[in-house]
Amino acid sequence: MKGLRDKYCLVGVGETEYSRGSNRTTRALAVEAVRAAILDAGLTAIDVDGMLDYQSGDSTLANHVAPDLGIRLNFYMDVMGGGSSTEALIGLAMGAIEAGMCNTVAIYRSMNGYSEFRIGGTGARAAQPVRGLDLAQVPFGMRSAGQNFAPTFLRHMYEYGTTSEQVAHVKVAHSKHASQNPKALLKDRVTVQDVVGSRWIVKPLHLLDCCLETDNATCLIVTTAERARDCRQRPVSIMGVAGRVSKPRLDFHWAHGPITRVAGYYAKDIVFGQAGIGPEDVDVTGSYDAFTFTTMLQLEEYGFCKKGEGGQYVSSGVIELGGRRPNNTAGGHLCEGYTHGMSMVIENVRQLRGTVDDYCPKAAEGVHTYDYAPGRCRQVKDAEIAMNLGWAMPPLGSALIMRR
Amino acid sequence: MPQPVQYRGMSLIVPDNDTEWKEFYAHARAHRLVVRKCAACGLLRYPPTHACPWCMELRFTWQELSGRGTIYSYEIVHHAIQPGFKELTPYAVVLVELDEQRGRPTPDEALRIIANLLTPDLRPEAEERVAIGKRVRVVFQDLADHMALPQFTLTDEPPQGRVWRLP
Repeated sequence: MKGLRDKYCLVGVGETEYSRGSNRTTRALAVEAVRAAILDAGLTAIDVDGMLDYQSGDSTLANHVAPDLGIRLNFYMDVMGGGSSTEALIGLAMGAIEAGMCNTVAIYRSMNGYSEFRIGGTGARAAQPVRGLDLAQVPFGMRSAGQNFAPTFLRHMYEYGTTSEQVAHVKVAHSKHASQNPKALLKDRVTVQDVVGSRWIVKPLHLLDCCLETDNATCLIVTTAERARDCRQRPVSIMGVAGRVSKPRLDFHWAHGPITRVAGYYAKDIVFGQAGIGPEDVDVTGSYDAFTFTTMLQLEEYGFCKKGEGGQYVSSGVIELGGRRPNNTAGGHLCEGYTHGMSMVIENVRQLRGTVDDYCPKAAEGVHTYDYAPGRCRQVKDAEIAMNLGWAMPPLGSALIMRR
Repeated sequence: MPQPVQYRGMSLIVPDNDTEWKEFYAHARAHRLVVRKCAACGLLRYPPTHACPWCMELRFTWQELSGRGTIYSYEIVHHAIQPGFKELTPYAVVLVELDEQRGRPTPDEALRIIANLLTPDLRPEAEERVAIGKRVRVVFQDLADHMALPQFTLTDEPPQGRVWRLP
């Protein structure tokens, strides 16, 4: 598929702190994240004239966020959606600019996913009335994300012999990465035994296989490569993007197997085709870790290993800092905190700039020790190409490839 | 349907204009498991959607199924999200592959349905007895005068393929 390789860049990233009790509204969180991204890019409010955001009835819309910062918009849209929206909206931002509707787009996600509208499904979400297609699952006690995905994970264990211990390595790797991240909610390193010894949530998921409900807002700024040259940071070029690619029967994906196949099966040719590269060219990945299994399933579906060998791949050391292709170097949703995918793109932008915010004293200037002991460095040496694998559910995903 | 059906703290809402579910539940209340059958290509579909996902035809008939199938995958919920399910934990949610239309119209497709695995008297089945490959049959859990949930229970039939459960 023809794309817009290298014509657009990510020029600004920003976020609030990760917390379990932000004590402010999603409007306030969004304003802080967008402001941080604008300052990071070296832009002003006048330079931003486009805005996109996503939510699920749990956040503040752009018409209340933009004016708070004195931004007058030529284009904006609020999108219903969760995970995998990040990459899709980056593609839509490129399209809006390409169509001549605006020049520079801020994309944000803001949520009190722990203190207000719990992303794990308890409280307000569990109390919602059940109608329409939800009747096919929710009356059977299948409502949360983990409950919705677990049969996919279990069938992978049945078909390929994948073990709990293998996928636990995803949590182990991400906890190692989080121990180098001052922002992370969980900074302690864990072992495989910690993961498989934690209590069951919904079998085959243990507590430590699950990500972390979080209050947070995040923002990314997209503009043309030409404008990017005048921004403060080293631009990160967008090589390819695939947005919300789905399997057949998105209404009830169980009907169309194999159920262990995820949307990356369809997305990979789009995104790699645009970028003109293959998995072997990628230095850093951000495979969405709503659960340990989601990271594994996507890495194998996008061809980083053979289908069915994801368990071996994630337990081989490849995905850890110091390995061939580290994944979610900030700790991801399992350890840094949950952002519906935004933080994984933010981290990869910083990796490609060479300025990840680790404990190295001169990190902002790009000076790193590459010492991956706890509380030190998490910069990947000479990272040139990064890829994000966004997940919404087994039959729905997005992808993004960037280069420095 | 006249009013929301209250079940385990949930409001199940089937408005009168939702003929897909209204008619499905009316059959279920009469203890018949039905799916929509396309009047053009003859393929069966679940959930009861408006058009045929293979040929876009709108005309259909309801077809009763045998209610027999095999556990294709499952999960065991130990930490319930919905307050009304907490007393049932650990409970099994099963993905059942029904006997009709297996491997059609393509080898990877089948009529599959989500339900709980229950004992014949409608209590949660013991976790140790839940496994991929085991044979099941439909049972109905009556919720109201006009609504019942199709659920599944184990049968004595020999398993289909390899039997496996996560210890």
